[in-house]
Amino acid sequence: MKTATMPDRRLKVDSELKRLILRHYLGAFRAKRPLTRRPVAWVTSGAPVEILLALGILPVYPENYGALCGSRKAAVPYCEEAEKAGYSLDLCAYARNSIGSMLSGRGELGGRPLPAPDLLLTTKNICGVVVKWWEVVARHYGCPLFVLDTPFAADGVTPEQKEYVRGQLEDLVDFCLRATRRRRPPREAFERRLREVLDLSGQATALWQELQVLRRNSPTPASALDMFTNLFPIVTLRGTQACVDYYRKVRDELSERVRRGEGAVPGERFRLVWDNIAIWYNFDLVRYLHRRGAAFVGETYTDAWGLYDFKEARVGDPLDAMAELYSLVLLNVGLEVRKERLFRMVRLQRADGVVFHSCRSCKTYSLGQYELARAVRDELGLPTLIIEADMVDSRAFASGPTVTRIDAFLELLSGGL
Amino acid sequence: MNGASVAAGPPPCRTAGEAARAALERLVRAGADPVSYLRGRRAAGAGPAVGYVCGYVPEEVILAAGLHPVRLGGRPGPVGPADSRLQSFACSFARACLDGLLTLTGSEVAGVVFAYTCDSLRAVAESWRIHAPRGTFFHFLNLPARLKGRGVEDYTRAALSRFAVSLQAVEGGRPVTGESLEAAARLTAAVRAGLGRLAAVRSARPDILPGSTFIAIARGATVLDRGEAARDLDTLAADLEAVVEANPLPGDGAGSRPRVLVTGGFLETEGPLRLIEEAGLDIAADDLCLGGRALAFGAGTEARPDAESGLGPALARLAALYLGRVPCPTKHPPERRFAFVCDEAARHDVDGVVFLLQKFCDPHAFDYPELRHRLGSAGHPSLLLEVEQGALSRGQALTRLEAFAEGLREAMEGGRAG
Ligand code: SF4
Ligand code: SF4
Repeated sequence: MKTATMPDRRLKVDSELKRLILRHYLGAFRAKRPLTRRPVAWVTSGAPVEILLALGILPVYPENYGALCGSRKAAVPYCEEAEKAGYSLDLCAYARNSIGSMLSGRGELGGRPLPAPDLLLTTKNICGVVVKWWEVVARHYGCPLFVLDTPFAADGVTPEQKEYVRGQLEDLVDFCLRATRRRRPPREAFERRLREVLDLSGQATALWQELQVLRRNSPTPASALDMFTNLFPIVTLRGTQACVDYYRKVRDELSERVRRGEGAVPGERFRLVWDNIAIWYNFDLVRYLHRRGAAFVGETYTDAWGLYDFKEARVGDPLDAMAELYSLVLLNVGLEVRKERLFRMVRLQRADGVVFHSCRSCKTYSLGQYELARAVRDELGLPTLIIEADMVDSRAFASGPTVTRIDAFLELLSGGL
Repeated sequence: MNGASVAAGPPPCRTAGEAARAALERLVRAGADPVSYLRGRRAAGAGPAVGYVCGYVPEEVILAAGLHPVRLGGRPGPVGPADSRLQSFACSFARACLDGLLTLTGSEVAGVVFAYTCDSLRAVAESWRIHAPRGTFFHFLNLPARLKGRGVEDYTRAALSRFAVSLQAVEGGRPVTGESLEAAARLTAAVRAGLGRLAAVRSARPDILPGSTFIAIARGATVLDRGEAARDLDTLAADLEAVVEANPLPGDGAGSRPRVLVTGGFLETEGPLRLIEEAGLDIAADDLCLGGRALAFGAGTEARPDAESGLGPALARLAALYLGRVPCPTKHPPERRFAFVCDEAARHDVDGVVFLLQKFCDPHAFDYPELRHRLGSAGHPSLLLEVEQGALSRGQALTRLEAFAEGLREAMEGGRAG
């Protein structure tokens, strides 16, 4: 096995990823110009974006923009802008970052904030926060807002729940047409186009799942940093050919690494699973673990995008299948289901321990982690580590105590092996 | 859920008669310590009680199932067992709720009902589902976040219907029927009507019925046997209305105190309200979970004696009632609540508004800047205070409240002089 001294090996496709990100945001700005005009929608990460794409609407993701600001360590001043306007320091930092950037008219896209939306789509399936956040944005821009309401799917989706969500999806189509002042396309043409988009989404998801399967190898060909970085296309470009093409390349590169026995982390000794959003401004923390031979072989956060399996949608009624899938996303199911999914990942990826990022911004993801951590320890007999931080607001992070806890956790892992 | 940190002594209220005083005490005592009330009730051989932790749980359905609904609002004070279940950034109300539930012995209530509102309370429900004593009834009323739009009413009715059916699992309950639901709705409407009369007294004469006492009474009305509560509220309201009539002019100093509207979520105790009064402010109106919002239900959807008696229509009316009420910030769209707060501030002629923001409460915190702006534009200055563990940090809050009161007084005098 080849061992390098580098703390982490970057994937070759990363340079292409930068181009994709650039192209996406440039495209969003271009969409606002008269000659290349295209309606722009601000959407949440759990939005049924396939409907928008089928109608020629360009989705942009304020959460992804938050991750971008976070990874440039630039989110705090925007958060402070929002706080100055009266938004509590305790609110989700993605929201504060977005609102602050919007209110100040400044941002990280060549100095600009996200381009103004023509319409807004928020989906309750990830949290209640996004409903409130999108209401703020709707008032600011005075533009139409659609709230896709997905009741809690603790143990699954009831028939009335599915019907409720499906009805809203139909309404969403009308809303989009109204908001963009377009005529309704013939039903058949729309459904054909929707199926094409869903097919592309499904292909990307299948490739994404393949990446996770490749990570079962020892050493793992991709660790958390690769996966966090490579989330951008599956979140933002899902439903496009560019997304599929890109993940083919990632898959090929990881397969090649596996063939050569090359791991993402030199000298892999421990295999870990990560729970919750990345700490975007502090990848050094993960690198610190890498240097000690601890590699991440799975993340509940990245795994969540593997759930958009649109096989059913391609054959049956697309809206029906979408109503179900978008109700069953990771943050809309009960703790028992989350536990099962976590345990399954630990087993399949052959993990030795679980790291929980207790993210003070994100209550829907974080509350319940104490129960999950206890279950991992008691039922799987594996060590756990809880890191108190925030995904983009670096003010909430204390480095010293965190490193001490990481060291103790690593000792526990060493003892157990 | 115990009364540990509730101030002792009778709450201020200028009742005239013995019966009214007794009614007041019954209501306030039950609200301040629901657990003791429930134990006493049980010892007296009363039927089973079902707890609920959110104002969106329609107690009408619990009553219609022949059970006693009781709102469990959380144990005030430092966090106990919930500390190892929920991180400190869950709102302290959610943590207090879980704490209260985890310290129940299992004999006080036959079960607990949650409603889908915010992310934090959903987490409390999930945690409770894991730790509830065996055999305890659990129901998560999976309500929509939207108040209007395609399918909302049908979906709400279906969720209520599931709830009604699920209650059959509680031993001692009976199947919910159209008639029993209509009767329960009438009883609940009577309780709300009684509270509405008291709210009017509070607004007219906060020196006779202070806002803190009004909320203590409203809390009691979510605990006490509802028939008894309706009677007690009636007695109390009649008595206080007579007191107001007999004393048309406010006493010494009263009337010169600035009037405020208090807005916020659920309060575990009246402590924060008492502090506001202590600082020299009169609470004339509120937009609190237990007060103003609990009373402001849509008109025309109440149970009607002549209504069809089938369960379907009764559930549909109930769904419309809850969808039409002044919403809490967890519901969309928020405009109705914004309008309610601004209208109430105008209607009750308040001089200012106090925001009591539960620390770490996302829904209220998101609405705060907009609401502050709208109130400001309408000429109502406001003050924001954070409530943690059911209380305000006394020293700091009192200073800020006093300064706010002083500012309002000056504005009032300036207004009079002008
Ligand atoms: S609360 Fe959590 S899920 Fe919701 S927007 Fe913030 S980070 Fe995302
Ligand atoms: S106070 Fe706010 S966060 Fe807490 S339970 Fe109520 S709505 Fe939820």
